[in-house]
Amino acid sequence: MLASDHYRMTMENKQRGIIFSFNGFISEGILFALGKALKKKMAADEINAGTMKRVFSVFVEQAQNIIRYSADTLAREDQEDCRLSSGLITVGTEAGRFFVACGNVMLRSQAQPLQARLEKIRGLDSAGIKAYYLERIKETVESDSLGASLGLIEIARRASEPIRYDFLDIDGLTTFYCMKVFI
Amino acid sequence: MENRFIPALERSPEVDFRYGENHLALRGEAYPEDAAAFFGPLLKDLTTYCQSIQGQDLLVEFQLEYFNTSSAKALMNMIQVLEGAARSGTRVALRWTFQKDDDVMREFGEDFSTELEHVHFQLVQI
Repeated sequence: MLASDHYRMTMENKQRGIIFSFNGFISEGILFALGKALKKKMAADEINAGTMKRVFSVFVEQAQNIIRYSADTLAREDQEDCRLSSGLITVGTEAGRFFVACGNVMLRSQAQPLQARLEKIRGLDSAGIKAYYLERIKETVESDSLGASLGLIEIARRASEPIRYDFLDIDGLTTFYCMKVFI
Repeated sequence: MENRFIPALERSPEVDFRYGENHLALRGEAYPEDAAAFFGPLLKDLTTYCQSIQGQDLLVEFQLEYFNTSSAKALMNMIQVLEGAARSGTRVALRWTFQKDDDVMREFGEDFSTELEHVHFQLVQI
């Protein structure tokens, strides 16, 4: 039973083209280790350098978004370094294209501004995305939302189609946010 | 100003800032856990250094393979400091190198060069 359950899970993931799927507490160290495995896997499959770089970049920005913005965290106020954020991140291929998907719990109060940023980016063509990236990176003021915006714009630049996203409200306070990006 | 050498680590680039020779280079990948902590001191030194070499020649080489958005922001800040130095009379050359099939890094070079008016910018394929 134990083996058959887990084997079924493994085979389901394989059939869905999943290279890896990580669910749980994610730290910078885990990001690094998963990223290294992802690079090795793509190198072994002789994926071209441009595609590898795009997949890797979307993976890093998504993982760092979970680390920074997930509302499901374990942290002691006196130990910011020990903060652990929980989320889901999946890399795979579907119909010959790579995708990177992520999901995490966030505060409903922060969902609306995020959705506005996503919609703004989704409304731009590739030249518009590039111009928006340059506009934001040249700004000297550092703020939380700026960091988040630049990450999203970078993800959109590396994608071959507009970012797909969705929200599922969990309770009055929190919502589950997810994003799927095709390279 | 004392030269600064930091070897490349798994997530941070080699820093080879030879202030004595007016030759600064960054090589490798940049996605440090804390980009501000990594790049902040370099940017501060660069600003002080640029003020001290007015009118001289300066060669800066960026040979980067990958950087995340936090690092991109820091690189843009460095480029803005270099442009400021060039505007006030230092002859700054910025050489941006990329691998033959790396269109992402080539495009970043083009992006960053849009900020430059007085710096002599070279995009070099290796």
